[in-house]
Amino acid sequence: MSNKRVAITGLGVFCGAAGNVERFGAALMNGSSAIGPLDLFDVTPFPSQIAAQVRGYDPLEHFDRRAVRKLSRADQFGLIAAREALEQSGILDHYSPWEMGVSMGAGASGMFQSEQWLKARLDGTPAPPSLLRGLLPDRTTTEIARAFGMAGYQGSVTTACSSSATAIGWAADLIASGRQKAVIAGGSDSLSLLTFAGFNALKVVDPLPCAPFSLGRQGISLGEGAACLVLEEEDAALRRGAPIHGYVNGYALAGEAFHMTAPEPTGASAARVMSEAIASAGLDPQEVGWVNAHGTGTPLNDVVESNAMKRVFGERVGQVPLVSTKSMTGHCLGAAGAIEALATVISLKRGIIPQTLNFRGHDPACDLEYCHDAHHATQCRVALSNSFAFGGNITSLVLSI
Amino acid sequence: MNGSAQQVVISGYSAITAAGAGLEPLLAAIRDGRPALSPVSDDRVGRPDRLWGRAAFFRASEYMPPLKARKMDRASQFATAATGLALKDAGIDLKTLEPERVGIALGCGFGGVGNSAEFLSGYFTAGAEGLSPLLFPNTVSNAPASNASIELGLKGPNVTLVQRFCSAESALMMACRFIQEGRADVMITGGVDDLTPLMIAGFEALGQLKSYARNFGEGSGILVLESAGHARRRGAGIRAVLDDIRTVGLFPSGREAEGVRYLLGDCSGLTRVGLSGTAVDTAPLMQQIPASLPRLETGPLVGRSLAMGGSAMAALVATLPAGGTGLHLAASPEGPYFAIRFREGALV
Repeated sequence: MSNKRVAITGLGVFCGAAGNVERFGAALMNGSSAIGPLDLFDVTPFPSQIAAQVRGYDPLEHFDRRAVRKLSRADQFGLIAAREALEQSGILDHYSPWEMGVSMGAGASGMFQSEQWLKARLDGTPAPPSLLRGLLPDRTTTEIARAFGMAGYQGSVTTACSSSATAIGWAADLIASGRQKAVIAGGSDSLSLLTFAGFNALKVVDPLPCAPFSLGRQGISLGEGAACLVLEEEDAALRRGAPIHGYVNGYALAGEAFHMTAPEPTGASAARVMSEAIASAGLDPQEVGWVNAHGTGTPLNDVVESNAMKRVFGERVGQVPLVSTKSMTGHCLGAAGAIEALATVISLKRGIIPQTLNFRGHDPACDLEYCHDAHHATQCRVALSNSFAFGGNITSLVLSI
Repeated sequence: MNGSAQQVVISGYSAITAAGAGLEPLLAAIRDGRPALSPVSDDRVGRPDRLWGRAAFFRASEYMPPLKARKMDRASQFATAATGLALKDAGIDLKTLEPERVGIALGCGFGGVGNSAEFLSGYFTAGAEGLSPLLFPNTVSNAPASNASIELGLKGPNVTLVQRFCSAESALMMACRFIQEGRADVMITGGVDDLTPLMIAGFEALGQLKSYARNFGEGSGILVLESAGHARRRGAGIRAVLDDIRTVGLFPSGREAEGVRYLLGDCSGLTRVGLSGTAVDTAPLMQQIPASLPRLETGPLVGRSLAMGGSAMAALVATLPAGGTGLHLAASPEGPYFAIRFREGALV
């Protein structure tokens, strides 16, 4: 992929764990989890009643009344994260509108509002049609492009939980291939009854805060939010004196062609994608210091991902920690890949490998280093970020400083 | 992995539309100028003058074992069936290819929304007891591409996109790049949409039935993209060469002409223009299209939909005369815009 080296010149985040990049970095260092009670809708009928909600959110602190009516919760989160990343990067004053694109990943998106419309319709009560405006995941991309006058590429990846990792890899390629000078890439998603009830119905939600790679883990904790990265060709970024936070060195993606919801148990497909990502970056597995796992905390995922690690890193696997920042942010579905890419870049910058929180005990089937005890100091400059999804969609990003 | 400008060709295509299964019924509708739209058949949203492009004839069990069909949502059934037809058209026997070298990139409009509504309706009417876990996996909009990959064993790059009326074009752009980069030898690409009475109710609530949601359609249009080298090696019939893909996200106020100029490039030498999405309603674009240039529009025949570009591009390629060049022009009300050039026949 790397015709041109792709630099990260802006970061933005707005999620249950933190409202901006500085606070997100502090939460990573402190190991504080955002998973707790939620009040977005009634969760009493479900076995699990917690999530990493953006609590106390007042849209009017960020948007005027008219905009709030038009924007879904996910659109709003996306715009807030995009604004932080764009202001930090300074690209808007530098490039022509045609040179700047938007590539976002999405999941349930505006379902939180749209499902209220459906309920009202079933109840025979009136509901404002504006609830439906953000139903489709492409809305966040459209709104970011319009709000910031970015007239180049517009696209929204919708592969559920791997969406925003792919959106970032693709954005990096748009720059590497010379199609765009700068792209804002990331993902946004909000909690919704659909996904909360859905994952509960599948019995893959842990009643306690998710405990990736731990003994007795029972599944995911849901989360919500958005993260954005501004990507730019390195030479151009250097010339204009832009802050460089890190690099997107490569990525790979594939479908397992195995099952809609169950991962292929040997981890061979995941390992293939991780290896392809490393190769696409022109790197050797030896150069990878740690991996930000998909790490959902379901009994199956965590074993399969550990298996994949062994295939990729061989004898060195014990020295390559596999950590899950979902224990801090919850599983933010369409935004997960972006939030985790951001967590990876911030951790690389701070010289740490993040802690996997909520440890409950050692699981013999998960026999790698997961940094359950604390975050670890590190000198390494390259990490992977994995994202797996319904449908067997797998994406792996290679990030570095 | 470098971005060498490897040539990408179209070696097969298919469509499932309101006109029928396979590209032939759509081409016949184009030839005869005979719309395949029908009155909306649902009591709650049907009106005497309200039409849709529903593929009511479609039976998934004709394309896959009934047990598998039952596990899929309607959009997944369309995508899986259309992909099978397109591979057959391309003369590809998947058993002869490495599964890791064959990928799929689809645009998907409202895929997953049908299942989401059904799943939620269970909850809203009967509480937690009313939840059907089996409906939930296919609430994601990548269900069609992923189900097709599972059913057919495609292990290469796998992605789904949505971007207004340019969803299939977004997917084609990515699929093309995956071949150029060497990530895959063959990419299945195009679009898939499904249409339900509830969606009509939603369009009505938003006042869109009078504008671009009028005569909405559904189905799936698939193109088989292949690196020229791979196609040549297996002796494939090459339908067209994919010459150029341009896109603009939006036209900033006052700079429309600049955007249109970049998007369209030189319009001389074209044989035909295909108009998809809301292109025909986008004045700054249409002003630059020579009036004498033959036009192809599938929307009025089988309905407009977010990922209609798949069948529109297949129809454009299929109707190009020998040596002709077609421009597929797709637009959405607020952007983006795509201009994709196909050149019929043999390689240069």
